Amino acid sequence: MTGKSQYKFIISGPVGAGKTTAIATLSDIPPVVTDATPTDEVAEQKHQTTVAMDYGTIRLEGGQKVHLYGTPGQERFDFMWDIMTEGALGLLLLLDNSRPDPLDDLERFLRAFSPFLDQAPFCVGITHTDVAAEPPRSAYNRLLAAQGRVVPVFTVDPRSKPDMNLLMLAMLSMIDPSIALTACASREGAEA
Amino acid sequence: MRAEAISAILADLNGSSGDIEASAVVSRDGLMMASLLPNNVEEDRVAAMSAALLALGERTARELERGGLDQMMIHGKEGFVMMRDAGPEAVLTVLAKKEAKLGLVFLDVSRAAKELEKLL
Repeated sequence: MTGKSQYKFIISGPVGAGKTTAIATLSDIPPVVTDATPTDEVAEQKHQTTVAMDYGTIRLEGGQKVHLYGTPGQERFDFMWDIMTEGALGLLLLLDNSRPDPLDDLERFLRAFSPFLDQAPFCVGITHTDVAAEPPRSAYNRLLAAQGRVVPVFTVDPRSKPDMNLLMLAMLSMIDPSIALTACASREGAEA
Repeated sequence: MRAEAISAILADLNGSSGDIEASAVVSRDGLMMASLLPNNVEEDRVAAMSAALLALGERTARELERGGLDQMMIHGKEGFVMMRDAGPEAVLTVLAKKEAKLGLVFLDVSRAAKELEKLL
């Protein structure tokens, strides 16, 4: 990262959580996507899956630039998780509430990212709550609290700009509240 | 049947020159389809890495207006890794020795990739 005006964040979570969509929603530029047609059980769920990374940027009012990197969701790509956390300031974890055991997904990703999360903040976005209302958000909060982690948890729709902005602002405010304020102003300006 | 045919192409390739040490065919989404790899290599990870690298290479070639991607090569201190496009569904990954004659290896690899493409 060069200078103080660049911020790198990672978006991760299980396959189908909405990571690629989230980056497309947030990014000011057409996102860079690397996808392939799934040949395993994922094919029943969607037609394209990320195999290397997604990338997008957000330019903030103050001229700062946010770089967003989305990871593949499948565990066989976990080497990308390691590579991408290099130099990152925080993690946005998206969890699909409609998967068989989303709380287990949360634990799994906490474990996988644990060295990184011991020194960097993260926040959680629960997706697909329209498909599966259970488990409730409080269940995620309880699990995180039991691990001694204080983490903002939101229910979000990755297609919704206001939802994703909220998640992004929560992330930014954990890094530097003053940036979050500028970002807030510029985002609201952009929507007005 | 198809798996056997793929394995036969890989066996042919590995036998074609002493420079090629191992090879594998991987789906675009990073799953192993067939392989002749050393025992100490973790197949799942090789498959995923091949798919990720090829996808990044493809994206980069397009971004920098170099056209569609044919091949990607990694030059390590102890040898080479080549990833070759083998049709819309698959990637051919090949490990070659550090003293390999690259021109010949390229030729063999591209021939094998064409055969695979016909098969898949």
